[in-house]
This record gives sequence, structure tokens and C-alpha cells, in this order.
Amino acid sequence: MTRIHIKGMAIATLVMVLATAVPVQQLAAQGSSDPEHTLPLTWDRWLDHDEIGERLRLMERTWPEFLTLQSTGTSYGGREMWVMTINNPRTGDEMNKAAMFIEANVHGNEIQGAEITLYTIWYLMENYGRIDEITRLVDERVFHLVPSVNPDGRDYFMDEAGSGARTGHVPVDSDGDGVADEDGPEDLNGNGIIEQIRKYVPGEGTHRISHVDSRILEAVPPGEKGDWVILGREGIDNDGDGRVNEDPVGGYDPNRNYASDWQPNYIQGGSMNYPFELPEARALNDFMMARPNIAGMQSFHNTGGMILRGPGAAWYGTYPTSDIRVYDELGEWGERMLPYYNYIVIWRGLYTVHGGSIDWTNDGLGIVSFSNELWNGGQYFNSPLLQAQRQDPNSPISGQRSRFFFDDFLEFGDQYVEWTPFEHPEYGSVEMGGWKKLAGRVNPRFLSMELFHRNMAFTLYHADQMPLMSMGESTVERVDGNLFRVRVDITNERLIPTITERARQNNVVRPDLLTVDGNVDVIAAGWVPNKFLPGPTQMIEQEELDRILIRSGHTGRTTRTIEYLVSGSGSMTVQYSALKGGTASTTVQLR
Amino acid sequence: MQLAGIRGLRAAAGFVMLALVAPGGALRGQATSYLDFDGLTRELRSLVDGSNLATMRSLGTSREGREIWLVEIRNPSGTPVDTRPGLLIVGNLEGDHLVGSALALETIRYLIDQNGGEANLDEQVVYVVPRLNPDGAEAMFAAVHHARRGNARPYDDDNDGRIDEDPPEDLNGDGFITVMRVPDPSGDYIIHPDDARLMKRADAGEGESGAYTLYREGRDSDGDGFLNEDGAGGVDLNRNFQHAYPYYERDAGPHMVSESEARALMDFVVAQRNIGAILTFGHSDNLVTAPNASGGLAGPKILDLPAFADASNADVFDKGVFRTQGRGFGGGGFGGGGGGQPRLRGAQPGRDNDPNSGRRPATTVNRQDVQYFEAVSEAYGEITGITRVGINREAEGAFFQYGYFQFGVPSFSTQGWGLPEPESDEQGAGEGRGGRGGGGADGTDAAVLAALEGAGIDAFVDWTPFDHPDLGDVEIGGFRMPAVMNPPGAELPELGRAHGEFAARLTSMLPRVRIADTEVTDHGGGVFTVSVEIENTGYFPTSLQHGVVSRSVQPTMVQIQVPPEALLTGDAKSSTVQQLEGSGARARFAWVIRGRQGASVEIRVRSQKGGTETATVTLR
Repeated sequence: MTRIHIKGMAIATLVMVLATAVPVQQLAAQGSSDPEHTLPLTWDRWLDHDEIGERLRLMERTWPEFLTLQSTGTSYGGREMWVMTINNPRTGDEMNKAAMFIEANVHGNEIQGAEITLYTIWYLMENYGRIDEITRLVDERVFHLVPSVNPDGRDYFMDEAGSGARTGHVPVDSDGDGVADEDGPEDLNGNGIIEQIRKYVPGEGTHRISHVDSRILEAVPPGEKGDWVILGREGIDNDGDGRVNEDPVGGYDPNRNYASDWQPNYIQGGSMNYPFELPEARALNDFMMARPNIAGMQSFHNTGGMILRGPGAAWYGTYPTSDIRVYDELGEWGERMLPYYNYIVIWRGLYTVHGGSIDWTNDGLGIVSFSNELWNGGQYFNSPLLQAQRQDPNSPISGQRSRFFFDDFLEFGDQYVEWTPFEHPEYGSVEMGGWKKLAGRVNPRFLSMELFHRNMAFTLYHADQMPLMSMGESTVERVDGNLFRVRVDITNERLIPTITERARQNNVVRPDLLTVDGNVDVIAAGWVPNKFLPGPTQMIEQEELDRILIRSGHTGRTTRTIEYLVSGSGSMTVQYSALKGGTASTTVQLR
Repeated sequence: MQLAGIRGLRAAAGFVMLALVAPGGALRGQATSYLDFDGLTRELRSLVDGSNLATMRSLGTSREGREIWLVEIRNPSGTPVDTRPGLLIVGNLEGDHLVGSALALETIRYLIDQNGGEANLDEQVVYVVPRLNPDGAEAMFAAVHHARRGNARPYDDDNDGRIDEDPPEDLNGDGFITVMRVPDPSGDYIIHPDDARLMKRADAGEGESGAYTLYREGRDSDGDGFLNEDGAGGVDLNRNFQHAYPYYERDAGPHMVSESEARALMDFVVAQRNIGAILTFGHSDNLVTAPNASGGLAGPKILDLPAFADASNADVFDKGVFRTQGRGFGGGGFGGGGGGQPRLRGAQPGRDNDPNSGRRPATTVNRQDVQYFEAVSEAYGEITGITRVGINREAEGAFFQYGYFQFGVPSFSTQGWGLPEPESDEQGAGEGRGGRGGGGADGTDAAVLAALEGAGIDAFVDWTPFDHPDLGDVEIGGFRMPAVMNPPGAELPELGRAHGEFAARLTSMLPRVRIADTEVTDHGGGVFTVSVEIENTGYFPTSLQHGVVSRSVQPTMVQIQVPPEALLTGDAKSSTVQQLEGSGARARFAWVIRGRQGASVEIRVRSQKGGTETATVTLR
């Protein structure tokens, strides 16, 4: 594996680019338009599962040397669980490099993450050999990208009326009548949208029409009477039990079915009966458990503009301090890359989550994991001036009016359906209308590029900070005869340790192995506290000194010096093997 | 009753025999020895093939490809089987607990032979999984007895990158893995002053100085300085379930329900919501000793001697932990910089949640449910005569705990056999302390040893000198664990028959919801009041209190089969009652409907654990 990168060089290179030099590729492009894309794709359409599959296959055909598409199982509804792997085989086998796992869309209605994974594959491939840092990243690392953890939910959201698509499609008897999923919402008026239903009840309602904008239905203050009641979503009583829409498709939370701090339904709603009961979660967990080189993980959700880390529940305990230090640096860096996003601990700044995916990957698989909640409402009016104006109640961009303003003038009314009368079989004369499914949680299409790129950039930064082992300076000193003192510098070049402290506590990552090969007998081994000062070493008290177990791993951005006292002759190879940080070795001559 | 345990069991079983002699004396072909997988399969097959009351199918396969058999016992010509109140029996979850599968087998035999006994096979169903861990059980038939609990998943127990590389070895060739005691001035243990076969931890406060280190019998096969720290036998299935799961602990597996065997059972159970009670045979007990008034289970009792030996590997995960910081440097990659103090925060602007908010799962039996556990426990003692357990393992991740705390039904575990009562109260006084304390002649080791010896069971290998290739002069001895965990085969027919009778009793206690009464009042003009009274004629309520709390048991539903628009007033078309007590408690529902004079109207009652029934009334 060729690796020209050395510590500190990246920053130096960037400074050079800005100040003086111009890289070759930019020279070539100077004075003309951008180079053509190998694969000209557009990024302003939301795709369904089939279209995602087509795009993945197209990219795999275009860049077959780097891309491998596989299905790691099928969803309950029989859809393929796509995983695209990016690996440059010329820089080594996939398992010998740290891997970044990026998943999205575990909640069916939280769709944008899928397009981010597609954009990431496309961007890395288009710019390999064009942008040095991208080339290096692709050469050093492996990426696994899962556009949709919940393809059934996604298609329900995309292709059908889309209401209540958070869940997957494993049948659940939500109303306890012994039949599953027999009474969901339906599109009664055939306009392709599941609308809200409201009924005019003069003086007896809970809501009234706002005098500011007749489209705003506002709750009446306590003690007052409104003219409208909201009766729920569009649908009828399919099973004749006297209730409407009480048992729709699915009825659980696919991101509560993971195995860390999993809790039963009465503590954590929607968790199902046991961890990895859901075929989608099980397939991806099997995939991850078979790849212990996965060192970084991102799970894209929406909405709110957050860079979330675990723990999901306060009473599950805090992370060890050394792990928090790593998360803090990554998270704070991300806040600078993602305007309007905050770095947040799930339970503290969002709400309590038991059995979420990134709790499991952190605690059970030893993977430094984030979950980005894509899209913050502040981005509708993303300037300090407009944010200030929103505080003025008379402004057309204050309160609920702001959403109508944005829809009227930037989306040309595309996201709202006017209330229209309807004769409902159970409710009588009602009106149906309101916001469409994309409004609010999903960013406007014309802002997708920026959202995709910034979030991708954060995951690439995260991937770049996965552990990366290298061997530095080595010295051989003959004590006498065949007795030698050998010192080797061992470095983890990046921020994330080869084994997090939590992974060590749980014993879920194989220890790093420091091994010796050659015609030598290791008499003693120890860590050198400071190789620039004379002084004792910290002896390693293990039985097999040619195979030293390092359970605590190698701290990020640190060089350690190992000293061996050996008897022997010829060449001696010292190898450091970290499952999540690759393998590095150096050979010295005993003479 | 003083007749109990091994010795007592003969007498107790005699009582059982007397009770059952009328239907036909001893049961056909009862096994008097433990069966391997093929033997068990043959026996189950012949029982099932010989009766129309039973069917048999596989829930899935073990890691080594053995079938996990499920036997369903019911009269097929009764009510639809999937809606009948059911009892689930699971045995041999721990590989070394062969007696569990033997009792399950004998229970099947009893139920077939006795046409269910107290169970009503026309309206009820009994599901039996005799051996959940066939791979672990099969290991008990190997030449050397390991007493291993786990299944066959290859597992890196000491997390050193090598799998199953340092198993125990039968050095003295006696067919058992026992314990080695090695003279060692820095050891923690001494020979017990009251019984030279047993060991105790030296108590410096008493002026005692440790003289021995204890290991499991074997060598340090991988040369890492630890003996027998990574043998075969991966995951203990009775530590792999979701309640009080021991995260990341030895034998518990990588996560809850990680094992194919555990998953096969879970997938069956969650699809079979008519299961109203669960009985498991395993290393923990809540039957001989019912939960106390606060809902807590009796404390664990484990043997010190093997625990002391296992403790020799207690620090296996500490070797290789280095706090050497080395030399740090500035950022690599295209990020870099940063560092500084951890900010230990994570609230977002305007939001900082309370760490103490949120509900926590129950850890003790609901006080309102304790009475039912007590009643079943009483029946168990009465029928089996077992009043005293030898070993009682802490129930962490045990299936029977899932059964109550998450599935929400009465759920039980028993070793399936017991120890005789001690000669005097004094002798048993120290038992309650469990095994972890000082150990010795007043603890579990002594009690178990005395009881087994009293019953004529040779459960202890006397210490004999051995020249260990690495450790020099040692002694090898200790408990024969298979004999500690399983009674002699000759006891199985009597024990089996008693447990068959108990299973039938437990089945008879399931809730049974019936339509007790219906009434129609004609108000004229096509308006009628229809009312129905339902009754739970079983013993258990339709849902335990915890079944309600945990929302795992659905309310009993009563539905009138008329179009919604025919309902004029009164109860909802589908009405429910959360919980209907047993022993004849009733609930009443009434609807005022519009209908045609002389028309028939169906009323359905559907109780998840208490069965379904339909009544038809005529409007007149």
C-alpha cells in the first residue's frame, strides 16, 4: 500500500495551495469550464427504491474497479437491502483498511439520507484522481453505503400516499383485535395525498381560522370556543369496528430494535419483541459484525439540524472521558461544517431513545458513531437579518406564516393543498386539505445540493479521522554478542483510537496485536516513556512477547515507542495489527 | 412435608404413584437413563406416532444442525388450536441440565397417556420444547464430562484473537473435568477446617493465610499464563434473553437473542400469543421458593469450589491494558487541530432534558401477582414433594424471566429435583448466604455434598496427587458436576410422572373465558337491547397485573357483529375488559341496536389467554 501522507502534511499542503502553488488538475482546467462529469447526474429529484437501485447499478458499471454493489438481504416486503462498497483494491484488501459505514432512511419518511449516500459515491468517484485529498481518502479507506435501511417504508412514502411511513412493514396488530394492519388511512378523493380532515362545528370546536392568514388553523386558547375540530387523517373505518385508521401498516419504530439498551414496548414504544427481530436491522447487523474493520458510522435521519451521539438514555451511563474527547472534537468540527446544526447527546438534547442503532454500534461494535438529523427550519431563512425579522410578529415570515411565505414565493405553492369539502361515510360533511408529505421534514429540492455536500463532507472528515497505523523510526543497538536492543516508533496518525475505551470495557473489539517475526527470541519488551530521555521502560508482563495483546488499543494522534530485548540474528519484522486501524510493519536488521 | 429430595423423592413419588395408580399404574416405556439427541428424537417420535393427541415439528436448527423439537399436545377435534389457552414447557436450555429434557419427555408421555390428566385437551393445548440446546446436551455424552452450559457457537471467551484455544483437559483420565488445587503461598484459599474436601477463602481477620490456588483441571494450552480460559461452548441460552440481560458478560453472547436456538424459541413464542403460562426446567428456581411478598426471587446459591477455580482467570481482560500515552501531535488528515477539555455536554440551545425522567422496567414480580406464584408454588410442592433446591443460579437473561416480565404471563423455572431436608435446622442455617461468601462446610458446597452423599450419589472426586506437566505437584478433585446438576437416571420415571401431573395442574389453572349469559329485550319498532355476560372460569386472571402494566397481554374483547350504523347507543361495537379475575368473575356488556325482528346476531368474545367463544342471539 502506498501512502505518501505523513502527519501534518495535509494542512501544509492546503496552505501551499492557497498561497502559492496551483495543482496540476486546476492548471489544466484554467481558462475553460469545469471538466465534464463522467456520469452526469441530477440531484433535485427524490428517488424511490427502484430508482435508487438503478442509480447504484449505473455507478457500479461506471466505476467497476472501485465499486461493489451487493444486497445484504431483503426487507420484509422483499426489497433488496443494497450496500455499495467503495474500495481501491490496488491499495489493499478491504478487510485491511478501516471502513466507514454510512446508512440512511431507517425511518421511511426520512428520505434525504439515501440521496446523500448516492451523492457521496458519485462525488468520491468523480473526484478520484482530480482532487488530491479525495484520492488519498479513497486509497486509504473503505466505505460501505446503505441508501435505505427501510426500503418498504421509503416506497410507501414515495410511491403511495405517504402518510405514517416512519415504520417498516412487518405486520403488527396495533389495535389488539387479532388482525394486523387491517385499518390504515386511504386517499378517499383520489388526489394522491393523505390529507387532514376537519369538520365545521360552530362554537364547539378546538380550532379556529387565523385572522392573519385564512390557511392557518390555530388552536383556541383555554376557555374559548373554536369553530373547527380536527378528526385525523384521511381514511375510513375499514374493519367496521367503529374506529378510523386505528391499525395502519406496520406500527413500530425500526430504530428501536437494536441490541444496546433494548427495552420492551412498555418502556420503549415500537421496539418489537427482541433486538434484530426486524429483517432489515438483522441483515445490516450481520453485515457489520462480519466486518470488524468498520471504525466509523453515520446514520442519517431527519429533522432538526443535529449531529447526535449516544448515549440514547441517561441511565445507561455516560461514555468514558477519553471517548467523549474524541466525539467532542468530531462533533464541534462538524458544527463548523454544518450551519444550523448542533452537536448533541441524544437523551439530553433530543429525547430518550432505547435500542437505537448508533448506541449499538458504539457499545456493541466499538464504532465511533453519529446520527445527523438533516435539515433545520432555520435554513428556510438563512441569514441573521431574516432570522431577526422572524421575531417580529407583524412580519410575513414570523410564526406559522413563515411556512406559507416560503411555500408561496419559493416553492410557488407546491407543498400545500387547499381545504375542500368532502362527504365522509362516517364523519358526514367535512373538509380535507393541509400540508403535503414533503413539507417541513424534507428540505426543498432546490436546497438539496448544499445539504448533501455539507453532510457528506462531515462524514468524509469523520472517515478521515478513523485510526491509521504506521511505523516510524526504528533503531537497533547491539548489547553484546547476539543480544540486541530494538526500538520502533508506532503511530496512530488520526484522532480516533484503534479501540475506544467503551469497546475495551465491553471486550467487543479484538485487541491490537504487536507481533515479532524472524530468527529471534524476545527476552523482554516494554514501552519507552520518552525516547529522548534516558530512563526505565514499562515492562510488558505477558507470556507471549512475540504476540503482545494490546487491549486498550492505540490512542489517536500518538506515537509510542516499543523496546525489545532480543537475541538472534538476521532480519526482524515488527508488525502492529489493529482491526480498525489497519496493519503496519517494519523490518530491521540485527547487526 | 418432610419427604423430599433424592431420598425423600422415593417416598414422595410413592405418593404420586398412589394417586395415579387407578388409571393404569406405571406408564409405558419410561426412560431410566438420559438420552442423547438421536435417542430423544426416537423417543419423541414414537410417542407422537402412537397418539393422535400429539404432533411434532422443528422450530429450527441448532448451530451444529440438530433440530429443536416442538411437541404440541392437544385433541385436534376440539376448538381451533391457535386460540386455545396454552402452556409452554421448555427444557434443557443449559446444556448440562439433561434432567430438564428428561422431565419434558416424561411430561409429554404423561399427558398422552393420561389424556391430559387435569388438563382439558379439547379446549387447551400444551407446547413442549424438550431440548432447546441440543448441541450443549450432546456434549454431555462425550467421553469427558465438561458440564458445559453453552451452545456450540465458537466464541473467543478471553478476546485474544484465538477461538476456543484453551479448553480444560481431563488430565487424570477419570472422565470428568474437576478442579486442581496447587500449593501456593500467595494463593487465596485454604482447606476447609471442617471438611478437608472443601476449600474456603483464607480470612486474614481470622489469622488465616492462603495456601492454595485453584484452577479448572487442564493445562495452559495457548501459553498465555491463564489456564482453561477459552474452551468450547459459546453462549448459555438461558442467559441470552431480554430481561435483566447481562450485557457483555461471559457466556451471554454478543447481544440479546443472538443465538439461532434462542431466536427460534422467540419467533415461536411471539407468534403464539395464546400461550398463557410458561414452565421451564433450568438452573434457576422460582417454584420451590416462590417470590417473596415484595416480588423478589430467592437469592442465588452456587458452589464455591468451581467458582474459586474460575476466579483464577478473573483478570484475563486486564492483561494488555496500557495507559502509556506516548507522544501526541497536531492533526493529521484534512481536519486537525481541536483537542482541549471534553465539554461533557450535549444539550442543545433551549433544551436540556432531565436525566431522571423516563420509565424503567419492572425488576420484581408485581405485588398483585405474587399470590398466583404462591399458589402455583404450593401446588408444585404438593405434587412433587420437592421443598429444597441445591443450586440456584441468578436469573440474568433467563427465558422464564422474559416470560413474566415481557411476555406478561405466569412463568416458572425449576431444577426439577431437590435435596432432602437437612437433619436439623442448624445445618441449613448458613445456606441462605449463597455461594459467594466465605463458603465452606456451612455453605452450599457442604449442603449439596451432604445431601447427595446421603442419597448414595457419588458426586465428588476425592483429591488425589497428580504430577502436572507445568505446575508440578498438584491435587485433582472436586464435584462431578453432571451428578450435581442431574439426579440418577433411576429417579426419572417418578420425577417425570410428578412433573407431568404438575404440568397438567398448571394447564388447568389457565384462564378460560366463556359467554355465561345473553339477554335480548325488545323495545318495539325494531329496537333491541342485547346484553352479554362473560365469565372467567379458569384460575388465573385473563391477564396478570404485569401483563396489563407491560401492555403485553391484550384486553379481552367482546364484539357484537352488527354494522356500526345499527348501534344506537350503549357499549362500543368492540368493547374490552383489561383484566377479568379467575374463579368465576364476570363482566357485562350491553348494546341498544336497530334490527329486524327474528334476525340472528352473533356476539364474539376473544381473550388472548382465555380462548374465544361465539354466541348467537335472536332478536325477539
